[in-house]
Amino acid sequence: MSRVAVAAVVAAGLLGAPAVLSDFWVFIAIEVLAFALYAVSFNLLLGFGGMLSFGHAAYFGVGGYAVALLLNRMALPLGVAVVGAPIAAAAVAVVIGYLSVRRTGIYFAMLTFAFQMLLYTVAIKWTGLTGGFDGITGVRPHGVLSDPRLYYFFTLAVVAAALLALYRLVGSPFGYALRALRTNPRRLQYVGVDVRTHRWAAFVIAGAAAGLAGGLFALASGNVFPSWLDWTASATPIVMAVLGGIHAFLGPVIGAAIYVVLEVVISGQTEYWPLVMGCVIVVLVLVLPEGLTGWRALGWRGVRARGVVP
Amino acid sequence: MSRAAPILSVDDLQKHFGGVRALAGVTLDVAAGEFHAIIGPNGAGKSTFFNTLTGLLRPDAGRVAFEGHDVTGQAPHALTRRGMARTFQIASVFPDLGARENVQVALLGYQGATWRPWASARRMGETRARELLALVGLDGLSERAAGTLSHGDQKRLELAIALAGRPRLLLLDEPTAGMTAQERLESIRLVHRIAGELGLTVVFTEHDMAVVFSVATRISVLHQGALLAEGPPAAVRADPAVQRVYLGDAAATVGQAV
Repeated sequence: MSRVAVAAVVAAGLLGAPAVLSDFWVFIAIEVLAFALYAVSFNLLLGFGGMLSFGHAAYFGVGGYAVALLLNRMALPLGVAVVGAPIAAAAVAVVIGYLSVRRTGIYFAMLTFAFQMLLYTVAIKWTGLTGGFDGITGVRPHGVLSDPRLYYFFTLAVVAAALLALYRLVGSPFGYALRALRTNPRRLQYVGVDVRTHRWAAFVIAGAAAGLAGGLFALASGNVFPSWLDWTASATPIVMAVLGGIHAFLGPVIGAAIYVVLEVVISGQTEYWPLVMGCVIVVLVLVLPEGLTGWRALGWRGVRARGVVP
Repeated sequence: MSRAAPILSVDDLQKHFGGVRALAGVTLDVAAGEFHAIIGPNGAGKSTFFNTLTGLLRPDAGRVAFEGHDVTGQAPHALTRRGMARTFQIASVFPDLGARENVQVALLGYQGATWRPWASARRMGETRARELLALVGLDGLSERAAGTLSHGDQKRLELAIALAGRPRLLLLDEPTAGMTAQERLESIRLVHRIAGELGLTVVFTEHDMAVVFSVATRISVLHQGALLAEGPPAAVRADPAVQRVYLGDAAATVGQAV
């Protein structure tokens, strides 16, 4: 099948899904969309910029809390809340990123991790703002979007637009600089690029996209909890990206879909679902170290980061 | 002998690593149009000198001026934007990008275009990149991933990357390292020819005396972090202190042969 045909089938599936899915599976489909954006935002840093953030849940969580606070506490319109989520997450990423991109590798990972723990502590201790361990519940869109099927289409449109923007970004001069700094930051400095500032910008963009994803998911699940900011939550986008393949732009999307659906299916069968999940991940990583999108090896140039076009 | 106005002016440059004096106050002018070799035995401070000039290391004292502007301690990207380009001892390229894409990224960087987040970069600078690859003799390999090229070809690619920003000063750290004797001469003559065509000033460090004396118009000798001698090749070759400390019998041989 040509790429156009594949795209047409995928689009038809995404648009037709609510007509055939039950309410429960519509919710799962929304979760897949939100986590797809979340995983792609994470992979902008890892797969393209070569930066392993171990605190990416911070931005997803801040986006979720931002929507909850803007919508519930401040009673602002849904549009303001949805736009506010990426802005709030970006604002946090500006500060954390400024400090974190001064280091690379494991030190960068540790800094992002530490700042996330800091935000987690704020979320559980500042009860007046965040509701502490109880989180914030009743985060629901009003009006037409209170219908889960319409909210699905809303999420689909927003996620598609965000993914398109990120896709353009990856193929832009900025994206080329990002891929160049993954393998050789020193050389990039010596062609006149301020490497640290580019890293910082990528960090903020990834944070904003994760915040948008968190906001969209909060509106679907109806609540936000501090566990969204817990350090274990930062493993989720890592697993999704690696599962799908970090060298393909759409790899993390596929990884997110498989992760979410597997979790639902397996947790319905056994309470030991993390054990089964772990086994599935181990087998996939051993068999397909390049992720699911890597199965056709280097042939799929158009979609792969190491090809000419991301 | 009058020299052209200095394009690079180094004044009392010092660098210490702990208790070790790697650069003990080097003062040196490079005139525009020179092909200036920096030589010296291992540990003489050549690499430190190079890295301090190009912003990789911050000097403890001293001053570096490029085209009359004080650039001491400026970051590599800022120096590069001013018109100083450099290469590395081990060819430094973007291994997973194609050869042409390597040069395209360089062009985007020099132009300050890397902040554009929406436009497609795919064709940007493609024509110019092909011209530069042809200039260094890599036209047949433009679509190959840079990491799969031979070391010699990676060196050529790195030269094309350095030339992409139309620099006025080219700093080459051991441009012939890791090559056979024949390749070395070919390689330095390529650089010499291109520098002549483009009117570039070149400063390079080099171990191979045959390479140095085949192209250098001026030579500086570093020894224990200090400048031991500086001048035209014939004068440096004849300098007894240089012969004793560094060149030894080999220099005498070269001196007689030339």
